[in-house]
Amino acid sequence: MTTAVADAHLAHDAEHHGPPAGWRRWVFSTNHKDIGTMYLVFSLLMFMIGGALALAIRAELFSPGLQFVEPHFFNQLTTMHALIMIFGAVMPAMVGLANWMIPLQIGAPDMALPRMNNLSFWILPFAFTLLLSTFFMDGGAAAGGWTMYPPLALQAGDSFPFTIFSIHLMGMSSIMGAINVIVTILNMRAPDMTLLKMPMFVWGWLITAYLLLAVMPVLAGAVTMLLTDQFFGTSFFLAAGGGDPVMYQHIFWFFGHPEVYIMILPAFGIVSEVIPTFARKPLFGHESMVYAMSCIAFLSFVVWAHHMFTVGMPLTGQLFFMFATMLIAVPTGVKVFNWTATMWRGSMTFETPMLFAIAFLFLFTIGGFSGLMVAIVPADIQYHDSYFVVAHFHYVLVPGSVFAIFAAVYYWLPKWTGTMYNEKLGKLHFWLSTIFVNILFFPMHFLGLAGMPRRIPDYSTQFADFNAVATIGAIGFGLSQLIFIWVVIQAIRGKGERASAKVWDNPKGLEWTVPSPAPHHTFETPPKVSTEVAFQ
Amino acid sequence: MTEEPRSSPRRIRRTALILAAIALAFYFGFILIGVLGG
Repeated sequence: MTTAVADAHLAHDAEHHGPPAGWRRWVFSTNHKDIGTMYLVFSLLMFMIGGALALAIRAELFSPGLQFVEPHFFNQLTTMHALIMIFGAVMPAMVGLANWMIPLQIGAPDMALPRMNNLSFWILPFAFTLLLSTFFMDGGAAAGGWTMYPPLALQAGDSFPFTIFSIHLMGMSSIMGAINVIVTILNMRAPDMTLLKMPMFVWGWLITAYLLLAVMPVLAGAVTMLLTDQFFGTSFFLAAGGGDPVMYQHIFWFFGHPEVYIMILPAFGIVSEVIPTFARKPLFGHESMVYAMSCIAFLSFVVWAHHMFTVGMPLTGQLFFMFATMLIAVPTGVKVFNWTATMWRGSMTFETPMLFAIAFLFLFTIGGFSGLMVAIVPADIQYHDSYFVVAHFHYVLVPGSVFAIFAAVYYWLPKWTGTMYNEKLGKLHFWLSTIFVNILFFPMHFLGLAGMPRRIPDYSTQFADFNAVATIGAIGFGLSQLIFIWVVIQAIRGKGERASAKVWDNPKGLEWTVPSPAPHHTFETPPKVSTEVAFQ
Repeated sequence: MTEEPRSSPRRIRRTALILAAIALAFYFGFILIGVLGG
C-alpha cells in the first residue's frame, strides 16, 4: 500500500505547481512544511545565541572571583539566556515540528489557518530582534530574572517597555499557533482517524495547545500590569500604592508552571513515536498515555505555588501544593512505565533517534526525581534559589525537551530532506552530548546542596571544583552541537543515501506513506487510515 | 467509528473564534483579578 500511495503522490506532485522561487517562498509562505522549516531554522539560531550566553555565564563561573563580566551584565546574561531558550529556542522548535508533522500525521493538506500560520512565525524575528536590541540600551537588557518579579523588574533601564513588548509579541505568536494547532486537529483529520487513533505526537501537541491558550494570555496580563505600574500610575504590584508584589508571583507562576509542561508534553509525544519504531512493537498503553498526558496537563494548573514556598503561605496551602505536585509523579510514572514496557522484549536497534529517546527516558527521570525533592516543603526551604534548582530544571529541559527535539529531528530529517543523515556522526553527537550534559549539570546538584545560590557571578572558594567541572561540561556540550549542525546541513544538501518513503523498519503513521522528501503538497485528497498505518 | 471528513471553512472559523475568545477571556480575566486583588 505504501508504495502505491507514494507513487500516487509522486505523480500528483509532478503535475502540481511547486513552491514559488526566491525569497517570496519564505516571506509569503502559507505552506506548513516551509513554515515548519522556518521555525526550526529560527529555533536553531536562537539555540546558538542562547547557548553563547550560557557559555559566557559558565566562563564567568569557571573560577571564583570576577573574570570576564560585571555583576550587572551577568544578571542580564542569565535573564536573557532563559527568555531566549524558553521562548526563542525550545517553544519554536516544538512549533516547527508541529507545523511539519501534524498535517502529515493526521492526513491534512495543511494547517487549518495557513495565513495566520505565516503571521505566527514572522512575528518572532521582530520580537527577538527587539529583545536582543535591549542589550545595547541604556541600563542594558532585563536583569531581574526571566520571572520579572516586581519591584526588581521595575528598576530596569530603558529596556523595560521593549522587553514587555517583545514578550507580548511572543505571546501573540504562541496563542495564534495554539489556535491553529487545535483547529487543525479538531477539523482536518482524515476520515476514520478518531481522536484515540491519533499519533502520540499529535496528542501531545493538542494538549499543549490548550495549555498555551490558557496560560499565554495570563503572562500577557501579568506583564501588562507591570507596564501600567511603571508608566500609567497603577499599583497592581506596588506595596507603596496598596498593591501586592506577591500577587504578581501567583499570576506569573499560574502561567509559569504549565509553561514547563508546554515544553515537555510535545517531547513526550516525540519519545512515544520514536521508541515503538525502534523497539518494533506498538506503544504499550496507547490510551493510558493520552490520559496520563491529560492528567499531567490538568495538574499543571493546580501546583503553581510550589515555586513560592519560601514567600510564605498558610500551612494548608503548603500542604495542598506539595501533595498536588507529588501527584504529578503518578501519571509521569505511568508514561515512563509504558515506554519501558514498549521496549520490553522488543526487537530493538539503536539508531540515533532511539539513543536520544532512551537518554531522555533516563535523564528526564533524574529531573523528575529532583522535582519531587523540591516539591517537599521543608526540604524546598533549603533547596530554594540554590544551584540544586538550576540542576533540576536543566535536567528536565536539556536532556528532556532538547534531547527529544534532537530525537525528532534525526527521526524525521530523512522524511524532510529525502536524504539519510550520517549515522556515525549522529551517534558521535549523541554520545558527546550525553556525556557532556551530565558533566555540565550533575555537579550543580552538589553545588546546590552545599549551599551555592543561583544567579551570582562570584562564589565562595569551596564551590570552585564543581563549578570548574560544570564549565568544562558546558564547553564540551556547546562544541558537540557543531556536529549536529554539520549533520543537518549535509542532509539538507543531499549528501548521503537516498531515504525511502518509510525510512525506518516499518514505522507506523501516515507520514511514512508519502515519499521522501515529502512533496510540497500532500494529502490534498484525504487518505484512508488503514490498519497498516493506524495506531490502534 | 467513522467521523465526518474535513469540516467546512465555516466550522474552522467558528472553532478559531471560540478559541480566540477563550484567550481574550483569560487575558482580561487575569487583569481583572489584578484590579480586584491589588
